[in-house]
Amino acid sequence: MLIEESLKSAVSSIRTNRVRSFLTTLAIIIGTAAVIAVIGIGSSASKALEEDIDELGPRTLSIFPSQRKRGGVSSGFNPLVIKDAEALADNNDHNWMIAPAMSGSRQIKYENNNISGEINGYLPINFKVRGFDLAHGRLFTEKENLGRKKVVVLGSKVPGELKKSVKQILNQDILVAGTSYKVIGILAEEGSTGWQNPDDDLYVPLLTASQRIFGTDRLGWINVGISNDTNVDYVMMTIEEILRQKHDIGPGGENDFRINDWSQFSDLRRQATGIFTALIAGIAGISLIVGGIGVMNIMLVSVTERTREIGLRKALGATHRSIMMQFIVEAVLLCILGGLVGVFIGTSLLYLFASFNDWPFAMPISAIFGSITFSALVGLFFGIWPARRAAQLDPAVSLRYE
Amino acid sequence: MIINVKNIKKSYNVGTQEVHALRGIDLSVEKGEFMAIMGPSGSGKTTLMNIIGCLDTPTSGTYELNGKSVSSLEDDELASIRNKEIGFVFQSFNLLAKNSTLDNVLLPLKYAGENKNDAVIKAKKVIGRVGLTERLDHTPAELSGGQQQRVAIARALVNNPSIIFADEPTGNLDSKTGEEVMNLFKELNSYGQTIILITHEDSVAQQSNRVITIMDGLIKSDNRN
Repeated sequence: MLIEESLKSAVSSIRTNRVRSFLTTLAIIIGTAAVIAVIGIGSSASKALEEDIDELGPRTLSIFPSQRKRGGVSSGFNPLVIKDAEALADNNDHNWMIAPAMSGSRQIKYENNNISGEINGYLPINFKVRGFDLAHGRLFTEKENLGRKKVVVLGSKVPGELKKSVKQILNQDILVAGTSYKVIGILAEEGSTGWQNPDDDLYVPLLTASQRIFGTDRLGWINVGISNDTNVDYVMMTIEEILRQKHDIGPGGENDFRINDWSQFSDLRRQATGIFTALIAGIAGISLIVGGIGVMNIMLVSVTERTREIGLRKALGATHRSIMMQFIVEAVLLCILGGLVGVFIGTSLLYLFASFNDWPFAMPISAIFGSITFSALVGLFFGIWPARRAAQLDPAVSLRYE
Repeated sequence: MIINVKNIKKSYNVGTQEVHALRGIDLSVEKGEFMAIMGPSGSGKTTLMNIIGCLDTPTSGTYELNGKSVSSLEDDELASIRNKEIGFVFQSFNLLAKNSTLDNVLLPLKYAGENKNDAVIKAKKVIGRVGLTERLDHTPAELSGGQQQRVAIARALVNNPSIIFADEPTGNLDSKTGEEVMNLFKELNSYGQTIILITHEDSVAQQSNRVITIMDGLIKSDNRN
């Protein structure tokens, strides 16, 4: 019944001083709104990022050749070769797509135009793993690969670099390192990935590249396309197992290849966003503390104003504890109300911001509960001192306070 | 004997000066007495009421309430005694302005830790005794001065206290309502309720059974009517 009485008294006091209560909680409102909006914007941003990554299609791991060490001394690169890729492709444990590739720069010539182009030796499946789309003509087939056919697919910007339109160059022969290749297809524009631009490159069958252009079976890398629900660690273990066996690496020997998980980069980006969000939210949280000081101030005023009431309550038998509780409940309630209004405003801000940027609306429930709990704690902390002052009033004196 | 006060002194420090408000009071009050304490302002009658009302403690001397020494209790123990043994009625009513008649009367029961249903039954009963059953849900602003004072009397009675202290209970009332309130006190006294009245009005004091006059911190006269 005492808690009920404290709540009743707090509600009545806040309602009596509506404007004052609102102004007092303003800093709490602003602080909570800022914290909520920032956390919400952060989580919406990373959700937007995730959706972007999902759009990129299946997840890709890349295997690169690496330095081999024998007894701590590096002994140069041990190559990845086409047979390694075949061994991976033969494994049936995983529903993966093995996309070996080699690349190098060669002279490209068509009519009077000479350019230096990056030639990629690809399997047909490589286009799928990279998510490349065809704009004109066709891709080469597995049969053309096995037949070492002299066919080439161009990146979307290559015709322009050769000063020709798509129509003028499709199904024509161009010279690649002095040998003529038939242009069978042109890719759609893919855009730069940051470390390479597939639009500037040329693509020939892997075996053609290996035997006719580069004269080696050494691969530049092997991409492994896996679906998003695959257990990446298990896939990596299988890759390691197969390649170590192929490369004859005994127990305890170091890998002579490395496996990159590209999604780690987006994890990094997400982490950075997270740190930034936490920082701003922390700064906004400081305004909650400032708000708490405002609440303490107004509670001190309230205690003075209600000296007579406190005296009366004490005369009727209120103990130290029940008077303390009355004022702490009032301070906490004030802060929780401020927190609720702040959550509402912050959520509305996030909603506006997210729809403006075409982001998904993602507000973590934990942020809402967390910030309301934090404002309640602010009220508790800053309510204690005024409440103590109230509880320590002398009943005989305060009853006659004017 | 409800109240047994022996050689009570109370002094305050005002600045560097020591003020002796009470300079040795001996007083005993029997159950069922209706006593008035009179005296000009500054005589010490308010200090005496604070001490026997357990709102304050004496500097020296002993005070037994219902045979139990209360002159050196802790704050919360005094609060508990005020809650259970003493009912206060003030000149300015001192009702909580936002609370209804019922809620105002319930307040001492809340501090007594009474269960809600029992408390409401008790409160309604005393409100009936002061004749305000029709005004249960009214706030003080919706009541007349006499009605407000009757709510305060109901609040003082609700925990069934040993003594009721009334500090100038008619001071803010016109003479007719003042008389009604005095009649209510007399009626309560006729059922055996001990009442101590603090007043400076002779006409009010004469309606009690015993009048004590205080002057300069000492009892000057003690007359039974």
